[in-house]
Amino acid sequence: MLRYALRRILWSIPTLIATSLVLFFVTTLAPDPASPEGTRDALAPSRDPRVEEARRARFLDLPRFINPDPHDVRSRAAWAASHVGAGDSEQDIAAAELRRLGGAALPSVLPQLEALPPDARGRLAVALGPVAERMGLASADDLADPEAAALFWTRFWDDRALDFTRAAIERTVSRLVEHGSDLREEDLVRLDTFALPAVVSAMSTTSDRLTLSRLTRIARHVSERGPTLEIDAAAGETRRAVADWREWWFVHATDFVTIDGADRAVAVVTETRYGKWLRRAAGGELGISATDGEPILDKLRARAPVTVMVCSVSLFLSWALAVPIGAYGAWRQRRTFDVVSSVVMFLLYATPTFVLAELLRRAAAALSIGGARVALAIVALAAASLATSSRWQRTAMLEVMRQDFVRTAVAKGVPAWRVAVQHALRNALAPTVTLAGLHLPALVGGAFIVEDVFRLPGVGFETLRAIEAHDSAWLMAVVLATAVAVTMGLVVTDVAYGALDPRVREELVRRQGGRAA
Amino acid sequence: MSGERRISDAPDGSVAIDLSRRKDAWRREAVRESLHEVGNVAAPYVTMTRIAIAQLSRSRLARLGAVVLASLALVAVFADLLASELPIACRWNGVVYVLPNVTHPAALADATCAREAKARWPGDWTLAPLVARGPTETAEDDEILRPPLTRGHPLGTDALGRDVFARLVHGTRTALGLGMAASLALVAIGVLLGGIAGFVGGVLDSIVTRAVESLTAIPTLVLVLVVVALVPHPTTATLLWTIALTRWTDLARLVRAEVLLTLGTDYVTAARALGASPSRVLGRHVLPNAIGPAIVAATFGIASVVLVEAAVDFLRVGSPDTMASWGEALGEARANAGAWWLMVFPGAALLVTLIALNLVGEAARDALDPKLRGVGEELTEGMRG
Repeated sequence: MLRYALRRILWSIPTLIATSLVLFFVTTLAPDPASPEGTRDALAPSRDPRVEEARRARFLDLPRFINPDPHDVRSRAAWAASHVGAGDSEQDIAAAELRRLGGAALPSVLPQLEALPPDARGRLAVALGPVAERMGLASADDLADPEAAALFWTRFWDDRALDFTRAAIERTVSRLVEHGSDLREEDLVRLDTFALPAVVSAMSTTSDRLTLSRLTRIARHVSERGPTLEIDAAAGETRRAVADWREWWFVHATDFVTIDGADRAVAVVTETRYGKWLRRAAGGELGISATDGEPILDKLRARAPVTVMVCSVSLFLSWALAVPIGAYGAWRQRRTFDVVSSVVMFLLYATPTFVLAELLRRAAAALSIGGARVALAIVALAAASLATSSRWQRTAMLEVMRQDFVRTAVAKGVPAWRVAVQHALRNALAPTVTLAGLHLPALVGGAFIVEDVFRLPGVGFETLRAIEAHDSAWLMAVVLATAVAVTMGLVVTDVAYGALDPRVREELVRRQGGRAA
Repeated sequence: MSGERRISDAPDGSVAIDLSRRKDAWRREAVRESLHEVGNVAAPYVTMTRIAIAQLSRSRLARLGAVVLASLALVAVFADLLASELPIACRWNGVVYVLPNVTHPAALADATCAREAKARWPGDWTLAPLVARGPTETAEDDEILRPPLTRGHPLGTDALGRDVFARLVHGTRTALGLGMAASLALVAIGVLLGGIAGFVGGVLDSIVTRAVESLTAIPTLVLVLVVVALVPHPTTATLLWTIALTRWTDLARLVRAEVLLTLGTDYVTAARALGASPSRVLGRHVLPNAIGPAIVAATFGIASVVLVEAAVDFLRVGSPDTMASWGEALGEARANAGAWWLMVFPGAALLVTLIALNLVGEAARDALDPKLRGVGEELTEGMRG
């Protein structure tokens, strides 16, 4: 049984991924209120750095699901180099882009420098000037002359090409982490942004304050952004700074690393908006609400208890009433109680939850029963599930009562109430449990309605506000959260069904081809 | 029997039945002959359909539900004749128009001839509908929130001065039209995918089963709300497709189970042994078993779509304001607590429709397939929310 439950839970993972795929597609259909306009060439950065940053942070430069040609530092550098070399209208942006890419772009730009025509070579070499300045190798004035700059970069590559390898920077960074010294820090600055992958990953593995302050200093120097840490920084500040760097790296990693071989095949899926979203969601980061800027997860945590409480209380309330009503109705089939309860339950079954809730609210207002909103919400929600469960219970009970063992028990002279409870009802309970599972989605939908009608500050109430505000991050998170909750509920009811009914248990175990666990 | 002609001795002495040529011809002939005999000699020819219809018409509640539904359908079809800003027929400015409320001629675009007492031209006349108001027609301040039985507004007006009767009548059209369209679509998808999953099996079966599980876990109402909120220009069609594309799952599960059950029966084995092709087995032996669940699902499907549409409109994010809908009217009632007529009439219309649909659905279920007893709850369960 345990094995079956585990298998069900594992199987729900692909199910949830499929669900999130569909939902993600729907959410991307909506215009994002925070998204800047205009997405031209995916490689061309926007002229306004703030717009560009917003675009990148929301991954709007990436395709939705499949990225056939993921961009890395090589393709970005090639784009920038070609525009600088050609000296066209995009020249300024391209030069700024080269400066941003920095040292990481050098391995793909410098080897081709020789092959370019002289004027293109000169322009490119001058455009790379700020990088050399950042590395502390030359001043911008030294490299203002195209000839001199080209000569500088050719010599530079002849001398330093060997330092620009993944293995070399990892060695240098690990040495810095082990025994930090200013000289080693300077070595890393000389490599400019090429050192970033190792530097950022070292940030999350080390906890030494001195090392962290050195690492953040290097990162800030080469990327020209982000927080640095002093040696005497508080623990919270350290955590925030490292989180900031990791977040920045999560968005911008492809600007500074090359994607080759197997990584490229993986990047086809991961370097997409969906891939990025899923990676974050798996880590519990569901994004920021567009309405009030609060993290979605905190908001969900604050709102969920109300919804869970309303749902579970009304579910148990409805069961507590439905089982006796349905069972007794079946036992006294076609008697007064059965007829009356059947008619009432049928009417209740056909009444929409929102009509019932609204009527209850008005009745309460007319009788001036104040402050009982939660109770009324629970009653309204319970009424709907009461109708379904009691009808189901009645059918199940009738089914069992037709069977031979009940007749045998009666014939043997077992008292009627014992036959009803011990023989019939016990067997008729199991189907009602399965219904509870099927009922869960409807229950959640109903909870959203009653929360709205009675103004309860639960998930549903918040969701309806989010719908007005087109807050796609919240909506996506809510649908996924309900899907997870309902899936888990279904697993629980399945397992409970098996626990109640040995026949079902055997069937389940046989299907998985193992022994009962 | 003519079939004997096809039996021949094969060279190796075994007997082979030649089914390849004209196989259907002799079979049909045989069936026709036997039917002929039965028809002449024994009881009248009885089919499942006849049994079902006989059972259905025996149920008094089902008849009641059917009558109610038929009248609602008539109201929906002839909504324009019951309430419209334009007359049924008129002579206006010397020109005769027939059914301008259906055709909406440009010449009458801003005319209020339906309720204008005195004609401008001599000889002009109008044949006004029952209520001379359109469902989207708003009115001046002195006509808002009028109680029922006001002159010209038998059921009163709402906060925008729109006639409640007109919105009720045209809301019937929205509810039933959307309900039937969405339910047809979901039945088509459900039968197709469920049938494929059960009949083909293998990878396709796994995919459909996974899809069913994924979609079952999402509350319909929540999903519809979210989709309508996020799609750039939501229309009634958005609502329709969202419901149809997510709510086929319960039916698909039933059809799949039914198909698997049928494939294991002796008559399917017999049909296969006689050389019936997979498509014939599917068409003649397997799919007819799925008709019962499909009809039941269609009836309950309409009910659930009506319910979801009303709930979505009630929560005020539904179809654009130009559409009249019961849910939207009930939402109006929420904002205007004193106006009981905004609550009672649309609420009653919704309730009556849902009760009628459920009555017919349950009777259809009992008549078509006793095995499905109790399935109504299961079918509608996922849709109710």
